[in-house]
Amino acid sequence: MTSSSQAPAPARSAVRPGLRGRPASTSTTTRRRPRLRSRIPVYVILLFGTVLMVLPLLWMISTSLASTKYVTTFPPRIIPNTFQVANYGRIFSDTDLGKYLLNSVVIVIPSMVGQVVASSFAGYALARLRAPGRRVWFVITLCTLMIPYEATIVPTFVMFRYLGWINTFWPLIVPQLFGSGYSIFLMRQFIMQIPTEYDEAARLDGLSYFGIWRRIIVPLSVPAMATVAIFTFTFQWGNFLGPLIYINDSDKYPLALGLYAMTQTSNVGQTPDWNLIMAGGMLLTVPMVMVYFFGQRFLYEGANTLGQIRV
Amino acid sequence: MKGPMSGRKREAIAFYLFMLPWIVGILVLYAVPLVASLVLSFTNWDLFQTPQWVGLRNYTGLLAGEGTSFWLALRNTAYYAAILVPVNLAMSVAFALLLNQPIILRRWFRTAFYLPSTIPVVAVVMLWSWLLAPSGVINSILGLVGIDGPAWLVDPAWVKNGLIVMGVWQLGGGVVLFLAALQGIPRHLYEATMLDGAGAWRQFRSITVPMLSPIILFNLVNGIIGALQVFTQVYVVTQGHNAGALMMVPFLYENAFEFNKMGYASAIAVIFFVMIMLLTLIVLKWSRRWVYYEGEVN
Repeated sequence: MTSSSQAPAPARSAVRPGLRGRPASTSTTTRRRPRLRSRIPVYVILLFGTVLMVLPLLWMISTSLASTKYVTTFPPRIIPNTFQVANYGRIFSDTDLGKYLLNSVVIVIPSMVGQVVASSFAGYALARLRAPGRRVWFVITLCTLMIPYEATIVPTFVMFRYLGWINTFWPLIVPQLFGSGYSIFLMRQFIMQIPTEYDEAARLDGLSYFGIWRRIIVPLSVPAMATVAIFTFTFQWGNFLGPLIYINDSDKYPLALGLYAMTQTSNVGQTPDWNLIMAGGMLLTVPMVMVYFFGQRFLYEGANTLGQIRV
Repeated sequence: MKGPMSGRKREAIAFYLFMLPWIVGILVLYAVPLVASLVLSFTNWDLFQTPQWVGLRNYTGLLAGEGTSFWLALRNTAYYAAILVPVNLAMSVAFALLLNQPIILRRWFRTAFYLPSTIPVVAVVMLWSWLLAPSGVINSILGLVGIDGPAWLVDPAWVKNGLIVMGVWQLGGGVVLFLAALQGIPRHLYEATMLDGAGAWRQFRSITVPMLSPIILFNLVNGIIGALQVFTQVYVVTQGHNAGALMMVPFLYENAFEFNKMGYASAIAVIFFVMIMLLTLIVLKWSRRWVYYEGEVN
């Protein structure tokens, strides 16, 4: 499992810091024209797959715009007879989703900052600084990746309960402030590909280790830091189990838990307003899609670093 | 500047200062809770009274006690993982291969496949419980071709399949990893075999698969671990009240946070942890036979 610790991963040209942009297209592109007809099956399968992938999403959008009356008609149609953009106003005026959204933001932002800074610190130390025990700490870091979260969930709950943190955001935010095995591994791999000449030159200029981190490592590892930030956002924005365990007071629900609670609180025998729930689902979905959309170019470099993992 | 010794010492101090947050994290979030889980698993504790030492009774109760749900949870989880993981793996490789062809609108196709995997699980479940409702969209479509659709997320016999459908819909992350790996395969390998007269299938077998094998292993291990640990989908769909979808983590959650049986829940955690470790080791051992690392000297 830990054979990746045996030798520094070979630098691959595609992961050079600062080299961004789309991957080079494969050379088979030159054959496009003569083989177009033979590709018809490819298109048919891809179109079929695309429909399966995209249609449910279109349904979410169309339902979120439907009127309450239409939602219960049978059989359901994909093009609603109404386009009630007002549903998106109603989720803020008639439901608590606006409050939940704010709670999510309050939880997510410090988590991202903490995770990025702590993992950049540890990644820098593991990649660059010589100290007794460095190898051991690296192996321990990899070992934490193999510990499933539910192996520690009960004692962690007991600890936070003892601290009086039940019903606060602390049990959700604080664990993010220490970094995580995965983020640290990613940062370390990335930083190892930054030429050491920069550090040495900065040393000669009299920069401290913190100065090197601040002036050299941080600016050159932006793609890796962005990747860590995106992964933290993804985890924390969609986190359900954490809030379910620690937050009882509905005023403090983050969006994912709040949306779930909304489907549970409708009166017995009465189906929840699916159009509002789908609008809430969009509220949960759109920020995530946007983060991926704008973070794509960083993620590509991050994925390349990941590609060097040897399990 | 002082002597070289003090320089080395300063570097070591800097190392530990930079590592400090993470070292604290390792201790507080991993080391101590792991040991505590093990210790708690030998006790009976409801959070309020003093924990009682009960030895192995939690374990015997779980594995052989009367009316234990452990084996049911294990069976359900195994079923879910055994179908979802291979299906996702095969489909991810297949779609990545297709998306790697020189086709028009390639970027649009890729985005379409990736998009669902970025959606938070809670939103995915909201959407699919709407689509898979007994008289919902999917069953309406099935009705058009004369199939009487099941009550996907309600019927204990079908709920796992409904959950698997949601999992397959989110396969995009794997597709993207395989695409990146496909683009890393040097063209000259294919050109060389083409000169030898190898057909498409032969090329796939002797170049593509070996070159993808490290990523296949990575996705396989992550897929197995992820599927075994499934919680949010199951809980949102069933609230833990559907025997057909009682799985390991929801089973643990129910005992710890609904019944306050902290010792019993810890025993579940310990058994589950050991099982995941063993399974991972088996897969890794098995992978030596089929994973090919470039630059590896045999």
